[in-house]
Amino acid sequence: MKLHTLYIYIMLLAGISCSGCIREDEYDNSPHGNLYALWNIINEQYCFLDYKEQTLDFKWNDMYAKYASRLSSSMDSYQLFEVMCDMLSELRDGHVNLYNPHDVGRYWSWYEDYPTNFNEELQRKYLSNDYRIASGIKYKILDDNIGYIYCGDFSTAIGNGNLDEIMHYLRTCNGLIVDVRNNSGGQLTNAEILSRRFTNKRILVGYTAHKTGPGRNNFSTPEPEYLEPSTGIRWQKKVVLLTNRRCYSATNTFVRNMKECPNVTVLGDQTGGGSGLPFCSELPNGWLIRFSACPMYTARMEHIEFGIAPDVNVSLSLEDALRGEDTLIEEARLLLNISE
Amino acid sequence: MKKILHAVVFTLTTFVLPISAKAQEVTDTVAANRYTVHSTMFGLGSTNQLESYLSPFEYTGAQISFLRESLRMTRMAQGRISYQGLFDGYVGCATGPEDDGNELGGSIGYHAGWHYHWTPSAQWRLMAGLQFGGDIGFLYNMRNGNNPAQARARIESAASVAAIYKFHLGRHSLTFRAQTDFPFMGAIFSPNYGQSYYEIFSKGNYDHNICFTHMGNAPSFRGLFTLDFPIGGYIFRVGYNYDIRQSKVNHLKSHVYNHSFLIGYVKHFSFHKHKEKNPNRFIL
Repeated sequence: MKLHTLYIYIMLLAGISCSGCIREDEYDNSPHGNLYALWNIINEQYCFLDYKEQTLDFKWNDMYAKYASRLSSSMDSYQLFEVMCDMLSELRDGHVNLYNPHDVGRYWSWYEDYPTNFNEELQRKYLSNDYRIASGIKYKILDDNIGYIYCGDFSTAIGNGNLDEIMHYLRTCNGLIVDVRNNSGGQLTNAEILSRRFTNKRILVGYTAHKTGPGRNNFSTPEPEYLEPSTGIRWQKKVVLLTNRRCYSATNTFVRNMKECPNVTVLGDQTGGGSGLPFCSELPNGWLIRFSACPMYTARMEHIEFGIAPDVNVSLSLEDALRGEDTLIEEARLLLNISE
Repeated sequence: MKKILHAVVFTLTTFVLPISAKAQEVTDTVAANRYTVHSTMFGLGSTNQLESYLSPFEYTGAQISFLRESLRMTRMAQGRISYQGLFDGYVGCATGPEDDGNELGGSIGYHAGWHYHWTPSAQWRLMAGLQFGGDIGFLYNMRNGNNPAQARARIESAASVAAIYKFHLGRHSLTFRAQTDFPFMGAIFSPNYGQSYYEIFSKGNYDHNICFTHMGNAPSFRGLFTLDFPIGGYIFRVGYNYDIRQSKVNHLKSHVYNHSFLIGYVKHFSFHKHKEKNPNRFIL
């Protein structure tokens, strides 16, 4: 074999090696480059752009030019961060966050602009010191034989065995209060595990979709979401679900599911919303951006990004609070006792 | 893609096939005795990882790898076809361009290949054939809270060519091998563009999660260069391996560029069912 054939072989390999590299577009690590990268991530991956443009009356296409006018090459990272957060706040989405080493950009008006309707001191009067805890869920039988469950977080794994114990303990109660006030979310699977205790049959609770490409209208066909009944102990009596504006994300989905269950009445304030499953990405300067990527809808294909209205709207009253009473819990007890 | 196809055709037609006319007759005693070359190598090198599902930026860092190779002649085509098994894997840790995030990646795979051999001279052996295999792996972005990881799985069929050159340096017999494999068709797992793993695995909503791959949307290749040399009755092997894995499916871009320097040992086995008239253990 002649040596030149070996050279050809090596040259061919080198040629193949250099062709067809798959790489991403690169942005400048400058104020303009970072702002454009941020704008483009939202433009291509954020799942509520059309909905937000319609309901909030803005055009995302105009946003880059609007906020780029506030940039200068000499600005520091604090000023750039402020401009970026202002642009992101147009979306009014609690799932949109910008993380940098000195701060977290956030939109928390979904609960900060509204009354809390929850007071831990008042709740303590009902729970006292002899309540039980399982999987992070506090539970107790109130004086009028109404069961009370407080789930303040869906981040902690909820075990089916724990739920069986809870349901078994509360089985003699005339009704059940499920309190998810101030629960700002966690794992969707935990929310689903708990809501499965309140239906005896498979029910349609909503739809979910995802983006299939960077285009504005690149969405998958919404897939139905069904709630399967738990194989463990299921609650068969009346339920009142207490909500406030801090019910967000996975808790918002929990409330959506519960509204489809029989015997459930939602009482309190509207939930905070947050119906987009979040994803993360990065900017050229290393800052992390979180945003809503997969939209979730109700069983009637309605958006729940801005929250779910309760069946009975009740606010915490100052007079009740001064008496040491939680208005929402008292209203729920009244409702359950009347039903009984 | 056209360039790559032309390159493959050009290699086979101008480089490999004409030499086959001069191929020497090979006895099948090597196959009958199941003469097998096993090698185990460990590598250290660099990695460059892009997974646009997790981040639009390339993460670079270091990786460690292993490569276990088994090579033996078969009885097919009068003992001119060899079987090659390649079992490999790597674990790498890479850092983002601004040193703010880290990614941990790894994969493990097996490829089985059959090569036709030409022996244009006592020193040269040329091989061309097909390879089938697959790998599974992961990439974990330690910074992302909501979409922290990407699973990887692929099966592929590849064209494979190799050249082996045996020579002497003083009293020592050395063997050099250059091999390249380029997958031309296969299938790959991928979530859809904005699809979450919650939707795939908790809800069972599948959406183009198994994608057909070809040289246009997944131009990948591997180059392996090794040198076998004896020391004190043992055969050692040093090598360089570049493994380029790329894909662009569901609008998601992904690549892993691994470069490894390898070192290991080689073992030769045979069953000696038949006496070899003219022992020719030259496979690799």
